[in-house]
Amino acid sequence: MKRTHNLILGLAMATAMAACSSTPDKTIAELETARAVVPQVESSPRAGVAAENISNARKALDEANRMVEKGGKIDDIRYEATVAATHAQIANEKILEAQAKDEIAKGEGERQQVLAQARDREAEAARTRAQSLEQELKDLKATKTDRGLVLTLGDVLFDTGKATLKPGAFSTIDRLAQALKEDPNRRVLIEGHTDSVGSDEFNQQLSENRAMSVQSALMQRGVSGGQINSLGKGESTPVASNDNAAGRQQNRRVELIFTEVAGQRVATDGS
Amino acid sequence: MSISFRSLTLVAGAAASLLTLTACGGVSELTRQEVARSETAVKQAQQSLGSSEAGAIELQQAKDYFTQAQKAVEEQNETRAQRYAKQAELSAQLATAKAQNASARKAADELLASIQTLRQETNRPATSQQ
Repeated sequence: MKRTHNLILGLAMATAMAACSSTPDKTIAELETARAVVPQVESSPRAGVAAENISNARKALDEANRMVEKGGKIDDIRYEATVAATHAQIANEKILEAQAKDEIAKGEGERQQVLAQARDREAEAARTRAQSLEQELKDLKATKTDRGLVLTLGDVLFDTGKATLKPGAFSTIDRLAQALKEDPNRRVLIEGHTDSVGSDEFNQQLSENRAMSVQSALMQRGVSGGQINSLGKGESTPVASNDNAAGRQQNRRVELIFTEVAGQRVATDGS
Repeated sequence: MSISFRSLTLVAGAAASLLTLTACGGVSELTRQEVARSETAVKQAQQSLGSSEAGAIELQQAKDYFTQAQKAVEEQNETRAQRYAKQAELSAQLATAKAQNASARKAADELLASIQTLRQETNRPATSQQ
């Protein structure tokens, strides 16, 4: 870059000198310019990109030098020197263009590298977020099953026989919503369950409504609907006996099943 | 008196034109082709430059040289016509080369700047974590 600046500066000075010296007695400005710039482009490591111009510049300069030795006419010398210098200038521009294009090629590679680093960093951040959800679920005493991490919201968090969430469930819902928002790749399946008391239709409807209210609560807190599925399973999947009160209370529940692997959907059958 | 003056100017005019003819001769077909080629080079440079500032001065020089070359053809000055045509062609090529270099340089600078920005953006969350 420095060399080319010098070259341009040299040309400018030579041109200025040529304008001032009306009677170039011994020195011909155009020739001095050509003698300075032709060797510069010849010695450039990128001379190959302008080989023809450089060869033409050399030919014209040699011709000008030959005429000087033979005492040729100043106008002829001046013309050949101008041709030589112009060819050298064209070569210089081509060399600089090649240099810029090399920088572009190198830059493209670098850009890809930076982008790849950014992706790695994003992936790392996603892992951290996933771990924070994991931690959150652990804190909320979610149990690990082959269906994924399962968090159970007990019957006491709902109004009796209704789908309305009690305020006691809100802190848990808040924490889950926050963790899900931080990790948009996570999915959660919300399943409502009841005990065997009452008609099948009523239990089915209640379980669906309870699952829906958990889903709505999460969505109200900004979780994307695409992350959530909900369904009611009625009394079909008890976890304890329906013969006693304690067992029935355990069966009245909403389960939240979190997929462990990002993007993986949970199977909806109750295996 | 007036007749003799007219004939005198006629003779002088004929002598002058004869002198020009012998001194310079007619312009050869080859030279005419070179002038035509320089015109093409100027037009091409004009096209490839578009509104580019780089090379604009050289393009103007090329146009001036071409005008001089045409004048030299009219004046039947072979050598001047050849030289001006050559200089017009070379100046046009220089104009094109300058414009192309400038646009490559601009693209390179923009790319380097975008990498710089990208680096800063991707580094920000990392440094805030540290």
